[in-house]
Amino acid sequence: MMSGPMLTTYSMWSLFRNCRKACDWRYLHELVPLERDHNLSFGSLIHECLEIWHRDRELKRVLDHIDRACPNQAQDERELRDWHLATAMMKGYAARYPTEEFEVVALEKTFKGKIVNPATGASSRSFVLAGKVDGIVQIGDEFFLLEHKTASQIDADYLERLWTDFQIILYAWYVERTLGLRIAGILYNILVKARLQQGRGETEAEFEERRRRLAAKSKTGKSSAKRKLPESDEAFQERLAAKYAEPGMFHRETLYISRDQFAALQAELWELTQAFLDARRRGVFYRNTAFCFHYHRPCAYFPLCRSGGSPNVIENLYHKVPPHEELRDGGGEPPQANCARRANACCGRHNPPRQAGTGGEPQDCLCGSHIEEAPAF
Amino acid sequence: MLPTKKTPPKQDLADLTVLVYGRSKIGKSTWCSKSDGALFLATEPGLNALDVFQVPVSSWDELLAACGEIAEGKHPFKTIIIDTVDNAYRMCSDYICKKFKIEHESDLGYGKGWALINNEFHRVLTKLAFMFYGLFLVSHSQEKEIETRTGKHTRIVPTLPDKARKIVLGMVDLILFCDLEVTKDEDGNPTYRRVMRTKPSPNYEAGDRTGRLPETIDLDFNKFIEVFNAPATAHKASASRSQVGSGDKQSKVPASAGK
Ligand code: SF4
Repeated sequence: MMSGPMLTTYSMWSLFRNCRKACDWRYLHELVPLERDHNLSFGSLIHECLEIWHRDRELKRVLDHIDRACPNQAQDERELRDWHLATAMMKGYAARYPTEEFEVVALEKTFKGKIVNPATGASSRSFVLAGKVDGIVQIGDEFFLLEHKTASQIDADYLERLWTDFQIILYAWYVERTLGLRIAGILYNILVKARLQQGRGETEAEFEERRRRLAAKSKTGKSSAKRKLPESDEAFQERLAAKYAEPGMFHRETLYISRDQFAALQAELWELTQAFLDARRRGVFYRNTAFCFHYHRPCAYFPLCRSGGSPNVIENLYHKVPPHEELRDGGGEPPQANCARRANACCGRHNPPRQAGTGGEPQDCLCGSHIEEAPAF
Repeated sequence: MLPTKKTPPKQDLADLTVLVYGRSKIGKSTWCSKSDGALFLATEPGLNALDVFQVPVSSWDELLAACGEIAEGKHPFKTIIIDTVDNAYRMCSDYICKKFKIEHESDLGYGKGWALINNEFHRVLTKLAFMFYGLFLVSHSQEKEIETRTGKHTRIVPTLPDKARKIVLGMVDLILFCDLEVTKDEDGNPTYRRVMRTKPSPNYEAGDRTGRLPETIDLDFNKFIEVFNAPATAHKASASRSQVGSGDKQSKVPASAGK
């Protein structure tokens, strides 16, 4: 039976370029880890909130959405943390941008187009490329892609790295082709995740220990210290609100796209399609083990690769999810149920950028000369 | 250098690496003790009621020393049982902390302590699994809240920490979850049967790489061996018989994990 060309996304090609095996696990075996990556889910929630905000500009709707997305906050600490952060972030965002310099043309816009061999102009018969952009906006008489990002911090590296965000540049080309709008560049809308923690207070034992230490230092041998109580939700929201009033917590960066970048990316994409066809024909998707810890945490398929593809690992730690969920429309389901950023655990694009000091740096020498050796085995 | 023949699938239980887990006192150790030439590396007390060969192990060094002797091969044992692998992992953790003169795994920063422990644990288990002996790993069970794309649910998993659990799941041929199956008799009173669950479910972890086992089987070593060694053609029939007989149709949900 003839089937049509395979639907692909840049996430897939990016993964194929980074590690063919990861691409095989995700896009041919359709496996994703059973457990959801929390970092990805917070980013998704903020994307959903921004979509609602830019569509309706009603903060109440956004806050209602956050409430619905965190139904177990009373019992679940992580949900409560997400709720606090998302609420404060979106309140801060609404206060920071009460009016916009741009007009929204489209939000969460999907597109689908041919993949073209730049040397001959012929279209691929095996693949088409589809994608979804966060938004298209108009500033003056120019159109920009709107791209939302949540970051742990914005530093020079972070901003410079935006130039290497090839996916969005490629998507700009497809948006031009399929929607007939000339895209001048990308407007990056970056929201910083505050690192504040809600004060959890002291246990009775912790308080007694602190009071004992203070008393020991005091001349009178006594201490008037009071037990630190847990910070209330209201007090924590106030602290977060003050943080989000700081200028560095939101940032907009506009990048203009040069036309030669389009050509280079077209050529690169074509090369990837040829390499993929070859890998699929021969059934060889080799592993790029240099990529396993690329984001300073194990790749989502690490347990699977380490076990040599053990069926026990597949059956207990992964499940099948059709690829490219990001392309589906809402279809009446709550947005988080459809969000591909939650499903594509290995998607290079939405992994959080590296944070300063979170890994990789060499530690103190682990010199073993003084170490008692255990029996050899 | 390159092979000319395919590696035949492992036929003998004594060639396999098996994880047996479940609540305390359900009969995991008793089940393991019936294996061919069983030798327990006993990392926790509790085998006293069993008449078995055992090496009491109170530290990772002792475990390594025992493994070294086993590797020499001057003994009659055929199946090595680490009971429990959870305690073995804790010993491994203590060993690494002592070796690097730290109080806690996190003291080395950036997850390095954890990585050293996991590497050492993986190294030793893999080496044991590659020897010509069966390797049985015993663990307790716990209920874990799993957050998936579609919501949260509890799942019964071995009590090992997450990374160690993933290491173990990746190296074993069989994951046997020991459970109490609850059915009701004619008067509506609950009756309990000790079973092993061999196929994964959203409610618990289990697995059978050999494909020889029915989904549920009595927690009885002799019955297990009977099914495991039955000719390939008999497996399907025996699997369905076993399932029908055990009331599997309605009762896939395990009793709570216990500890
Ligand atoms: S674990 Fe490493 S080799 Fe395996 S898919 Fe991930 S990046 Fe590739």
